[in-house]
Amino acid sequence: MLRFTATRLLRAALTLTMVVTFAFLVLIASGDPADIIMGADAPPEAVAAFRTAWGLDRPIWVQYFSYFGAILQGDLGRSMRDGRDAIVLVMERVPATLALTLPALAIKLGIGLPAGIVAALYRNSLVDRAVMALAVAGFTVPSFVLGLVLVLIFAVNLGWLPSGGDETWRHAVLPVITLGIGGAAVLARFTRSAMLEVLGQPYIRTASAKGVAWRSVVTGHALPNAAIPTVTIIGFMVGSLIAGAVVVESVFSWPGVGRLLVTAVANRDLAVVQCILLLVAATMITANLVVDLLYGVLDPRLRSARAA
Amino acid sequence: MPEAPFPAADAVAPPRRTHAPVPVLVRLGIFWLSLMLAAAVLGEWLSPFPYTQMNLGNRLSPPIGFGGIWLHPLGTDELGRDVLSRLLSSLRTSLVIAFGATIVGAVLGTTLGFLAAHFRGLVEQAVLALVDFSASIPFLILALAVLAFLGNSLGLFVLLLGLHAWERYARIARGLAISASAQGYAGAVRQLGASPLRVYARHILPNIASTLIVSMTLAFPEVILLESGLSFLGLGVQPPDTSLGNMVGYGREYLTRAPWILLAPASIIVLTTLSVSLIGDWLRDRLDPTLR
Repeated sequence: MLRFTATRLLRAALTLTMVVTFAFLVLIASGDPADIIMGADAPPEAVAAFRTAWGLDRPIWVQYFSYFGAILQGDLGRSMRDGRDAIVLVMERVPATLALTLPALAIKLGIGLPAGIVAALYRNSLVDRAVMALAVAGFTVPSFVLGLVLVLIFAVNLGWLPSGGDETWRHAVLPVITLGIGGAAVLARFTRSAMLEVLGQPYIRTASAKGVAWRSVVTGHALPNAAIPTVTIIGFMVGSLIAGAVVVESVFSWPGVGRLLVTAVANRDLAVVQCILLLVAATMITANLVVDLLYGVLDPRLRSARAA
Repeated sequence: MPEAPFPAADAVAPPRRTHAPVPVLVRLGIFWLSLMLAAAVLGEWLSPFPYTQMNLGNRLSPPIGFGGIWLHPLGTDELGRDVLSRLLSSLRTSLVIAFGATIVGAVLGTTLGFLAAHFRGLVEQAVLALVDFSASIPFLILALAVLAFLGNSLGLFVLLLGLHAWERYARIARGLAISASAQGYAGAVRQLGASPLRVYARHILPNIASTLIVSMTLAFPEVILLESGLSFLGLGVQPPDTSLGNMVGYGREYLTRAPWILLAPASIIVLTTLSVSLIGDWLRDRLDPTLR
């Protein structure tokens, strides 16, 4: 178990290193920020001063190592537009994003899991067909279309809810629903196929045949086994808590990390983009790591295999 | 919970090999997709106006059925441009990008998968590390970061979207190529003196093509959604070019006064992704139950 954990940790660190290297490589490939920020008609001495101030006049490998070192110390650069630390700028947006993504995650789990399980248990029934039809619809309707249609109905026509902004909790209702429905559809579809896969296994038939009550077969045998693949996708959802709302935040003018990212990309504020990229990758890698370790808890076979 | 002594009976039944009739929904999907392809190909001839032509005297004209005129069957936008003409042009752009990107992804992923399967060792580890890397960042964020750093052009945009799902093809191609190499036919042609390139391109590829095609059909709607999402954010296709997502993005400003600008491209996006998904699911069940 210890060795497994260590391998996973090492792999996670390696992946994070790759993300940092990737960020540095595209940064280099992006051209000279001095020209971009200062504009083409800036006086050459001002451009030179800018380059020295940001360390852009040093050799590439020196820049890479100082870049890496700075990141290890938690220094992710300053916003080239705002002048403040990028990390501060990003962190102050995180609570707003979580205010949308956490309730949305609750909706995804609260609707997606039971819907998928029920659909699998009553395969080909009306319930199953309805769940699957909704799940396909939820997957094919992009969040910005769903969001705008909800705005059209509930904000413009009925006037029940505000169409954008973040002043009260009522402003969060439509974005949370938009995020939740799409995710619930994906989760339902995934849970259903995981359940069907498990229900087709011989041990389920054995359990039924030896007279175990169907309810116990489901709770004792089917659900724990179906949980293993489902945990993977839930891990992905937890990993996207920070960045899973880019489009929806834009639709509803919600001042979260996603909107910050879109503005930063449009303004080419690279330090902020980089900071968000690293934060998102770190969250995702951590979530994947936790999922990997959870497998051991969920699946005794993996545990004993590792102990051996 | 009702008593169901043998609930798994139908789940374990072997997949039907008989040629079951094509389901109605799939037929509808094929019909819709053909319609869209025809509209995209013939768009220039079908289009009543050039998609950039403005008619300032006739701005925000509603579609037919909502008080509109036959001159602009789907109405006009904020600059008096014909929505139908813009829709046809957008459709063409979106489909070309989606096709291009899907093919780029499939070629790149399959090639890397084959390289990993052929050389094993370090090459394989490198490819697998790259797979880990792309699994660690949601693709939308990665795409946004690249667009921020490198700026935007249509070619780069297609290549970038092509990176979506490459790891899926790589994983599939690697796995299938490794097991194919162990089979008789690959060894036989190798013994006959075929170069590795020939073995992979002429013998292994055709044998795993159906799985790859199914994966492409499943990835295609995702690429459409990504493209339209990025264009919606104003970071994808840039004006004066227009794509479906672009139209939704601009139409959003006129949501209350002229919802048709937005609803027309939005319904095309939804119906097209829905059609391809239905066809993809059906193909997967028919050709390759292992992908489930």
